[in-house]
Amino acid sequence: MRLKIAVLIAKFAAFLSKIILRRSGETISGRVLLALYPRAITELSKSKKIICVSGTNGKTSTTKALVSIISKLGTVATSPSGSNLERGVAAALMQKSDFAVLEVDELHLSRVIEEAKPKVVLLLNLTRDQLHRMHEVKRVADRWAKSASAAPETLFVGDVDDPFVAVALNSAAQSKRISFGGRKHQDGAVCPSCGKYLKWVWNNYKCPCGLTNSNPDEIFEAGSAAFRNATMANVVGRHLGAKPIAIVEKLLERSVDQIHKGVKANIRLTKNPASWTEALKSVTGDNAVLIVNAREVDGIDTSWLWDISFSGLSGKRVVVCGERALDIAYRLHVEGIEAEITSNFKDAISKFESGASVQVLAAYTAFHELVNS
Amino acid sequence: MSQIKIVRIHNELLGTYGDQGNAEVLAFRAKFHGITANIVDVTYNDDLPTNGDIYLLGGAEDAAQLLSIKALQRGDNLNILHLAIERGAVILAVCAGFQIIGNKFFANGQEVDGLGLLDVISVPGDKRLVGDIKTTSSVLGFELTGFENHMGCTILGPTAQAFGKVITGHGNGDSKYDGAVNGNIFGTYMHGPILARNPEFADLLLTRATGRKYAQITDPLALKYATWRRKVI
Repeated sequence: MRLKIAVLIAKFAAFLSKIILRRSGETISGRVLLALYPRAITELSKSKKIICVSGTNGKTSTTKALVSIISKLGTVATSPSGSNLERGVAAALMQKSDFAVLEVDELHLSRVIEEAKPKVVLLLNLTRDQLHRMHEVKRVADRWAKSASAAPETLFVGDVDDPFVAVALNSAAQSKRISFGGRKHQDGAVCPSCGKYLKWVWNNYKCPCGLTNSNPDEIFEAGSAAFRNATMANVVGRHLGAKPIAIVEKLLERSVDQIHKGVKANIRLTKNPASWTEALKSVTGDNAVLIVNAREVDGIDTSWLWDISFSGLSGKRVVVCGERALDIAYRLHVEGIEAEITSNFKDAISKFESGASVQVLAAYTAFHELVNS
Repeated sequence: MSQIKIVRIHNELLGTYGDQGNAEVLAFRAKFHGITANIVDVTYNDDLPTNGDIYLLGGAEDAAQLLSIKALQRGDNLNILHLAIERGAVILAVCAGFQIIGNKFFANGQEVDGLGLLDVISVPGDKRLVGDIKTTSSVLGFELTGFENHMGCTILGPTAQAFGKVITGHGNGDSKYDGAVNGNIFGTYMHGPILARNPEFADLLLTRATGRKYAQITDPLALKYATWRRKVI
């Protein structure tokens, strides 16, 4: 009874937030609910089939893809876009539905698995990101492995080309190990299972302790991050009895097209070395705007800009902006690329003539400001 | 000397916190002075080159730090570093790298013997020290900025001198000093990378490594960046 009342109050709080503050109100409801009823996630999960999606990159777009796959099977609740802490999870679970597809932050996954007891957990990848908060990649991987071993009823699906995902899957009682033929990993020098120097032959690793990507349950052709994530979403869907969706990479990338004073801007979210490297491959035109911020969710340290090779931008017109425009400008400068420094996105985009196409790579907070404006 | 060899030690292990950029900044600044810089990446299975002018070590996670020290204690590597120091080569070691070149450190709960190149020991602290850091260095005569992200606290022995006096941040854990220095051997907790944030320090390392005093170079963007970080931290 008390849970029902807590849900009602939380929904009312969201309603007020929408009316008075003109906010989405989605995370407010989760926050209020958890404050009033700390066990809400556990209780609300009992009546639903829960699927969790976690990983450094691709959580939001993969969650969306999974929602569209699973919606053929029944009603689906999902987290408010990008809200992947407990409050977002709680907000999603308040909706009445057969299924819930939840995007979950890497560090918060353990608690959500423990409370929501998901049917399936999809682990996409794990690479260096927001190290001021994550501290070490291995620290996150250890937590994943620990929760996987404590959830025997849950199926863990993941990309074992990523050794950190492989360790988590190895710890699970039920797993589906997917490979895309192997790929290099920036943090893959040390075996996350035994601590030895991890032996790589081209794109594949094999440790004497047994950790390897060479014996997957299912293998797919290599592809972009968007392709891999959608493929794995289809695997999860198939496990639950849903038909696969067609994979249209453009739709799965977290990018938005906008026109600013006649300039066509394709704005793409970039937040860490792996996602920048992936996004830089897509900069095929002559013009680029790079926006770098360093707020909490962007990562408050910008040292990682030096992990990325920007050589692909050589010869293009590059304009930088954002709160840390100087950090990226100097990093490019040392790589031999001279960028124009502007104070904000409006000034950056106005450097281009009407009709020009510009690819915009935006830090997390900058992306959200642009998309929600 | 118109050529310089920069040895980036175990970047695949000691490259988690962006410190690989130090080599790039050194090579970039060297060009201004008319020096051709050659960056040599030494991986875990390689032996150290005997003729490096500047040896660089970066920050790492515990497991990677343990592998790096193991590789550096293997074969002739430590001897190569001692000989390099004798002939005036420069060593710049950051965070986990700084701990590695000390006498002792802790990783994954184990006590480990370091290379003993700097008279310091590092012990685990009770909380992780994360954030912007600013120091002033009497060795250099100017302010340095960077970013720290570590659990270790470092205690200096009698033959090591503190590298910087902390203005903002935690440094060696006491919030008083950061890093240590002895001759041309520098240890610090500053990422950023430190040489990107403090280009004058890169010039000083080039001067020390080549034994030549270079004219002040003009790179307005480098100066603007460094000045801005010193102002905001």
